[in-house]
Amino acid sequence: MLNRELLGPVLFLILFSLYAVSAWQIPIMPFEEYEAVNSATLPKVYALIGIVVCLLSIAATLFKGVPALDIREGAETISKATITQCAALIVLMLIYSSVLEVLGFIVSTILFLGCGFLIMGERRKQILLLASVPVVIVFWAIMTQLLGIYLVPGEFWS
Amino acid sequence: MLDGILVGLSTAFMWQNLLYVIVGCFVGTFIGMLPGLGPITAIALMIPITYNIGADSGMILMAGVYYGAIFGGSTSSILINAPGVAGTVASSFDGYPMAKQGHAGKALAIAAYASFTGGTIGALMLMIAAPLLAKVSLSFQSPDYVMLMFLGLTAIAAFSAKGQFLKAMMMTVFGLMLSTVGIDPSSGTERFTFGQADLLDGVSFLLVAMATFALSEALINVIRPEKANQGSNDDDTPVIGSTKLSGAEVKEMAPVVGRSSILGFIIGVLPGAGATIASFMAYATERNLAPKAIRERFGRGEIRGLAAPESANNAACTGSFVPLLTLGIPGSGTTAIMLGALIAYGIQPGPTLMQDNPTVFWSVIVSMYFGNIVLLILNLPLIPYFAKALTLPRSVLTVMILFFSLIGVYLVSFNTFDLFMMVGFALVAVVLRLLSFPMAPLLLGFILGDMIERNYRRAMMISDGSISFIWERPLTLGIFALAMLVLLIPLKEYFQQRKVAQ
Repeated sequence: MLNRELLGPVLFLILFSLYAVSAWQIPIMPFEEYEAVNSATLPKVYALIGIVVCLLSIAATLFKGVPALDIREGAETISKATITQCAALIVLMLIYSSVLEVLGFIVSTILFLGCGFLIMGERRKQILLLASVPVVIVFWAIMTQLLGIYLVPGEFWS
Repeated sequence: MLDGILVGLSTAFMWQNLLYVIVGCFVGTFIGMLPGLGPITAIALMIPITYNIGADSGMILMAGVYYGAIFGGSTSSILINAPGVAGTVASSFDGYPMAKQGHAGKALAIAAYASFTGGTIGALMLMIAAPLLAKVSLSFQSPDYVMLMFLGLTAIAAFSAKGQFLKAMMMTVFGLMLSTVGIDPSSGTERFTFGQADLLDGVSFLLVAMATFALSEALINVIRPEKANQGSNDDDTPVIGSTKLSGAEVKEMAPVVGRSSILGFIIGVLPGAGATIASFMAYATERNLAPKAIRERFGRGEIRGLAAPESANNAACTGSFVPLLTLGIPGSGTTAIMLGALIAYGIQPGPTLMQDNPTVFWSVIVSMYFGNIVLLILNLPLIPYFAKALTLPRSVLTVMILFFSLIGVYLVSFNTFDLFMMVGFALVAVVLRLLSFPMAPLLLGFILGDMIERNYRRAMMISDGSISFIWERPLTLGIFALAMLVLLIPLKEYFQQRKVAQ
C-alpha cells in the first residue's frame, strides 16, 4: 500500500513527467534552431533532474523498507471537522475571488469576512460585526480616500 | 564624497524628511507584520503618496517602509510563523520555535538588535565603499552569476532536515519549473501557458510566496488546530516574555551578526540576489560553521539561527541599493518597484546618478542610519503593542490572514485570475506540507529560476555553446567548487549515519 513517504515522490513524478511532455512540445523559433540554449533547454533539464530525483526518492524509500503504512497515517491529528472547515475556507476564497469585481470590494469583503468567521466557529455577534464592517470600511477609506488607490466598486451596482 | 555626505546630511535631517523616515518605518513595520503583506505591497501602496512629495523625500519614505516591512515581517515570522516577506522566511526557522518555547520577547529582541546591527553595518559599508562595491558587482560576469545561483540552490541542503534532502530537491525543481511559465524573455516563445493569456507574464512571486507561506500556514493551522495552539497558553496569545538578553547570549550573537551582516551586504549588492538569498545563505553558513551540538539545535530555536538571517536580510536591503543607485539595476523585487518610481520622477538611476542627483543619492544613504535608529527605538519598546495585533482570536486572525493575502496580491495585479491561482497553489502547498515537504526550497528555486536561465543563456553564448565557462575563470570555478562542497555535506552526513547504523 502507498505510504506517506512514497505518495509525495509519486505525485511529483507524475507532475514532472507531464511537465517533461510539455517541455518537449515547446516550439523552437527558427533563429533558435542552432543556438546552444533555446527556450526548451532548461525546462527539459529541469524535467530530467526532477524525474531522476523522484526516482531516487522512491528507490530510497523502497530500499529503506519502510512498512507500508496507510496514507492516512497521522490521521489522529487531523479530524474530519477541521478538514471540512479548511475545505469550506478554500471554497469561500474561490467565491470571494469570483464576486470581488461583481459585488465590489466593500460588499464582497464584508461577506467574505463574516462567512469566514462563521466557518471558523465564531458566533459572537459583536466580533462578527466589529471585525468585518469597520475593518473593511477603514481599509477602503485608507486605500481610496487617503492613498488614492482604485478599489472595484462592483459591476453589479453600476 | 565628503561634499556628497554633507548634502545628504542636510537633506536627510530636514524635519519633514526625518518625519518621513519615522512614518515610513512605522507604517512599514505594521504592514510587514501583517501576514501576507510585504514590502512590495507596502512600497507599491506608497508610490502614489511619494509623487506629491518629491524624489528625495519619496525615496527616503520608501526606504523607511522597506526597512520597516522587513523588520515587521520578522515579527510575524517569529510570533505566528507567517512571514509576510520572503526575506524573513529564514527567520521563522528558529524564531518561531523560540516563540513556541515561550521566548517570543527574546526572539524579537534578537531580531531587533540583529536587524539594527545589520542595517547599520550595511549603511556604513554602503557609504564608505559605494563606488568600490559597484565595481565589484561590475566585475561579475554571467558565468559567475550562474554559479552563484547554483550555490544559492545548493543552500537547500541547509533547509532540509534529516532525510529531507530529496524532498527539498523536488521542491527546488518544482520552483524552477514554475519560473519557466510564461513568455520566454529571450525568444518570446510561450511556455506552459496552455493558451491562457493571464499566464503570459508568468506566475507572480508575491502570489507564490503568499500562497505557500501565509495562506497554507493559515489553512494548516485550521486543519491541525493543536499545531497552532502548541506552546501558547492563552487563547493563541503569543507569550512575549522577557526581551532581555544575557551577556553570554550577546557574546554568542556578536560574531554571527558581524559575519552575516557582511555576507548579507555583499549578496545584497549583487543585482538580482537580495534579502531572501542573503538570509538563507547566512543561515546555511552559520549552520555549517556551528559546532555539531549547536548545529543540531538549528531549526529548534537556536539564537544563531535567528540572528544570522535577521542581520543578513537588513544588510542585504542596504546592499541592494548599491546596484539600484549606482548601476540602475534592482537588487530585489522591492528595489525594482523603487526603480520604477525613480524613473517616474524623471530620474535615471545609473552611474551618473551620483553626479546628476547627489541629493537623492546621498540623502537616501544618510537616512538609512536614522532609519535604523528609528527601527530600534520603535520596535523594542513597542514589541508588546505590535504583538497585540497578532493576539486576535484565532477565528478572526485566520480569516484576516486569508483576506490580507488575497487582497495583497489583488492590489498588485488587479486580476482575479491571480486569486484563483493563489488558492490553487495554497491547496497544493497544504497537501505538500501534510506530506512533510519543505516550502522554502520551492520559493528559492522559483526566485532563482529566471536569473539562472538568463545568465546561463548569456554564459553559453559567450563561451560559444561550451560549458568551459565553468573553469575558464578562477572566480567562476571557485564558486562552483563551493556549491559542490555545500551539496556534498548532506551526502557525507548520510554515509556517516549509515556507517554508524551498520
